[in-house]
This record gives sequence, C-alpha cells and structure tokens, in this order.
Amino acid sequence: MKVGIPKGLLYYKYHPFLITFFKELGADVVVSEDTNKKILDLGVKYAVDEACLPIKIFHGHAVALRDKCDIIVIPRIMQIKKNEYICPKFCGLPEMVTNSIENMPLSITEPIYTFTKKRLYRWAKSAGKKVTGNEFKIKHAFLKAYEGQLNYNAGILDENYDIKIALVGHPYNIYDNFVNMNLVNKLNKLGVGVETMEFTHELLISLEINNLYKRPFWTFARENYGFAVNASKEKRVDGIIYISSFNCGIDSVIIELIKDKVGSFPFLTLKVDEHTGEAGIDTRIEAFTDMLERRIVNESNIPTHG
Amino acid sequence: MKVTFPHMGNVYLAAKALLDGLGIDYVIPPKNNKEALDIGTLHSPEEMCLPFKLMIGNYVQAIQKGADTIIIVGSCGPCRFGEYCELQMNLMKNLGYDLNFIVIDYPKDIGIKELYRRISQVSSKSNRKTYEKLKALSNSLKVIRLIDEIEEAAHMFAGYERNKGDCKHILNECKEEASKCRTSKEMINLLIEYKEKIKHVPIDINKNPLKIAVIGEIYTVIESYTNFSIEDKLMGYGVSSHRGLTPSWWVKNALLSPLKINSLAIRRNAKKYLPLQIGGHAIECVGEAVTASKEGYDGAIQIFPMGCMPEIVSKSILPTISKDLDFPVMSLVVDDMTGEAGYITRIEAFIDLLERRRESVLFRC
Repeated sequence: MKVGIPKGLLYYKYHPFLITFFKELGADVVVSEDTNKKILDLGVKYAVDEACLPIKIFHGHAVALRDKCDIIVIPRIMQIKKNEYICPKFCGLPEMVTNSIENMPLSITEPIYTFTKKRLYRWAKSAGKKVTGNEFKIKHAFLKAYEGQLNYNAGILDENYDIKIALVGHPYNIYDNFVNMNLVNKLNKLGVGVETMEFTHELLISLEINNLYKRPFWTFARENYGFAVNASKEKRVDGIIYISSFNCGIDSVIIELIKDKVGSFPFLTLKVDEHTGEAGIDTRIEAFTDMLERRIVNESNIPTHG
Repeated sequence: MKVTFPHMGNVYLAAKALLDGLGIDYVIPPKNNKEALDIGTLHSPEEMCLPFKLMIGNYVQAIQKGADTIIIVGSCGPCRFGEYCELQMNLMKNLGYDLNFIVIDYPKDIGIKELYRRISQVSSKSNRKTYEKLKALSNSLKVIRLIDEIEEAAHMFAGYERNKGDCKHILNECKEEASKCRTSKEMINLLIEYKEKIKHVPIDINKNPLKIAVIGEIYTVIESYTNFSIEDKLMGYGVSSHRGLTPSWWVKNALLSPLKINSLAIRRNAKKYLPLQIGGHAIECVGEAVTASKEGYDGAIQIFPMGCMPEIVSKSILPTISKDLDFPVMSLVVDDMTGEAGYITRIEAFIDLLERRRESVLFRC
C-alpha cells in the first residue's frame, strides 16, 4: 500500500514521526517533491481564494500526490500542547482539501492531539488501522516513530558570525526554502548568523508569556513571542526578522505584540505570498543588514527619534 | 466611572437596560459610521479583521464623550477574537488614553474567582441591592430576546406583507423608540407592544416569496453597518430572510456549552461536512446552510470579514454542500474598503438567479 505524505505545513517539524510510523507499518511512503513553482500553481488553482500561502501550497502538494498513492495523510493537528491550538485552518484542513480537490484518494484525517503520548497513540491506532490490521505492529511502529521524533531537532543555530538575528515565524515559512527564497542562505552570505526558536528553553518562554495580560492560545504565537522577546532582552541577537505569510491571522496579532514589547529594537517583517518578488526581499534584507552593521559600529545605539 | 462598550447590532439596547438597572453611568458610542471606521483603520494593525477596526473606532468616539472604562467579552477559541483585548489595551495605551479594560472571559480559562473579581469591578459601583442587580440582568436578557424576536419576525414577514415597507418601517421605528427609553421596564413594555404590532402586520399567506438564509461570521452578519444593511435591503426587495446567529442565540449557546448541549441541530446537520468544532462559528455556518436547504429556503448568503480564519474553512466546504443539496450559496467578503455598489449588484444578481430557478419569473411584479 502506498501512503502519500504532502510536504507542506508542519511536515517540516514532524516528518521523522510521520515517515517512520508508516514505514514501520510496512507501507510504501511517497513524499511529494520539494515545493516548486508547479506545486504553487496547482495550489493556487485548487485552493479557496482567501486561503493563505502555506495552505495553498499544501493543496498543491496534495494534488501532486493525488494519483501517486492509495491513501493520503492529511494531518488534522488540533492541539500540540493542552488548550493551545495552531490555527482554525489546521483543524479544518482535511475538509478544505477534500472539498476543494476532486478525485482525492482515501485520506487519514483523524484529529491529532500531541500533548500526551497516550493521546497521540490514540491517533496512531486509528490511522494505523487503515494500513494494517496488526495492532502489535502499530504499537511497535508508534514507539519507534515517537522516539525518532524526540531525537530530532530542526532548529538553526549559527555560530561565528559578527551579526546575529533571530528568525521568527511559523516553521513552514522558515524551513520551506521555496517560500522564503533561501532566506537563511542569503543571510549567511551577507555575514549574518541565524537563530531560531527551538533553542530557547521552555521556562524562559513561559517567563515572558506570564507578563502578558492574557495567555496566548496558539502554540506558535506563544513560542515565537517568547523567543523573540527573550532574545532581544538578553541581547543574544542584534535584530529580529519575522517571516510571515500574507493574511495570516496569528501573525497579525503576534507581530503587534512583539513590536509593542521590544520597542526600538531592530525588527523587520517580511511578508510572503504567491506574488512575492525575489528582488524586493533581497533589497530589504540587505538594507536591514546594513542598518545592523551601522548600529554595531556606532556603539551608542541612539535612535534617530531621540 | 463611565462605562462604554463596542457595538454589535442591537446589543447596545440590552446593555443600556442592564446599566440603567444597575444605576451605573455609561456612554453609548455613536452607531457605527464612516468616521469610526476611519479612526479604526488609521490606528489598527493593517491585517487585522474588520470587527477590530470598528471596535477601536467605537472606543475613541466614546472616549470623546467622556468614557473611561471599557467592557468587552473574550474567548479562548482558536479564532483571533480572543486576542482582541490584549491588542486593544496596548493600542489604546499607545494612543495616550488612560483606560480601564474589563474583559469578561469564559470561567474555564480565567477561573471563576477571577471572573467574579472582574464583574465586581462594575457591579460594586452600583448602589442597588443584590436583588435589584439580578433583576437588571434578567431584564436585559429579556430585552435582547424581545428585540431579536421582533427582528426575526420582521425579516420573515417582509416577503408576505400586503403593504410594501410595513415591516421595515415598524422595525426601524421600534429601534429608534427603544433607544430613547429611560428605564428597562419602559423598554420591555415598548418592545412587547411592538412585538404585537409586528405580529399583526397585514400579510398575504398565499404569496410565495424568495427565502434566503444569512449565514457567516457573527459580527458581520449582526452588525448592519459592516454588511451594508443586507437584511434591510432584502426586506426592500420583498425577500424573506432568516439569520440564525443572534445575540440571544449567543447567550444561550455560551450558557449551554459547558454541558455540551448547545445547538444540537446545527451540529447534527454539519456533521457530515465538518465533524469537529474548529473555532469561530464555522460549524454554525455549515450547519445552517444544511438546515436552510432542508427547510426549503431558496438560497443562502455567507458574509465574513476578509482574513477570517474559520470562515475560510467553511467557504471551502460550502461549494460541496451547494452541489450535494442543489442549494445556491453566495459568499461575500467585506472589509474596510468594500464598495457598496459592487456589493449590491452581487446581491441583486443572486436574487435574480434564485428567481429564475423557480418556474415563474414574474411573481414579484
């Protein structure tokens, strides 16, 4: 049996789990190719107009896999941590995909709650049943996949650079090099090191969150906010770059919260959507780097507005 | 302390009844208008949704009239409405206003003690007895229920009325008179009177008007400024309309949701297309579309603000419902730059389409 896994959204964070799990069950795992122009075009064609770029790209991957597999995994990730969601669109992702694209193969759409191993195993049981009837095999595959996921850490942490920035945003924007147009490579070439949120301790994040009036109920909002504020406060980085997809509801909130907190700390928002031109992005990051360099040379760091 | 609150349809009538009953000083912001929207758009984050911008406009206009305390409700669903309070607090502080925000949130998220503390911030300012306070609360719930019933009846009878414009006239007069009432008792009596009036509008039961369900995001369907008074327009065209999302529905839903017995019919109907609660009112939107088609409505209009996350999901489901049940659905997206002319053209075209689906095209002449 061929199991298709679209390379979109949180695939970049959870691919060790998904791939190992279905491989151990004895299925042929088909992963769609890296995001490219063709996939983006397919996504734009099939997805509902108002959806954001990552959702459109996921649709593109699903279309690309349509005829190549017998069953497709559309992860309906409800909660990663207790009482914290990701985005309403994640909860309704299977509905969006199956209603927008015709002739979809069978799909695995059981809701995923990952805050305890037990809850996640519940998903594994119902998802595994569609591939094999052997419960022992499912349990074995689940344990192996779970361990594989725990040993995997995606983040980027560059050392030995004079300038360092915090790269903030949703994982599917940071790690999908087609969407962000090789942002990390470009920054490295300009002599800028990058740090992502995976290396900030959970406790430090909670510390920053406790200063807020209301606990954010989105996992990535919480982590991004905690990381960005903590990194700027401890002067671990010289600036913050937030990469956000156009019309993202969560980013519209979280960018405001970070900006409000960090004050005059250098902050650049890069908006990406299906029409983003590479030259514009290049110009902006070059200008931002120039500004950071000048700030370091002129130690006083006096903002122009006094 | 001078209390104010953002607008949402007729909620201001219920809030007025409540605050009158408690004897607390309050300011009702001017009804949503172009100026409020301009103020809101100027100060709000660019990609925020429309309700946020209008609420900022409401606050600023109320502050100009002397308000210093703002009451809003919160939520902890995955929709960004729950984050409004935090952002608005920061925004208003940065604009230089010294305000006190009172956020009424679900007790399961902030704890019953904290909720009680927040409510007592308002209620302690009232010098009435506890009995009178509870009475004021029940009166305000009565007001919102009555005004919702009147509205519902007016929208439904508009297609059947003998003298064109009766329902619209009575409804507008009722709202105007109600906002002038001094006490909640007076308002309730007035609303009961108007309820009788709307029930006795001369109607022609043999007419068979078009029936349209208005579905979508709760703020934009309830607040007539954001949807360019779509229901008034439908009444003008002689079309009967029905809207499931009302403030009184919201109250009932919020009270029943801890027991998980809220809106059972909607959830049952939506189950085939959207089995899980995904935040906002997506499940209601999908469920109401199915219900409307079962109840013999001719079509449905979905309205939502640009960028609304849950409604984007329901918008991608609606075409399937439309195909499965042979039920026309039109989606309208509104934001601060929507032009009224283009909007009306689309509504008219949709009504024409629904008429032509019937056998006789000329029934309305």
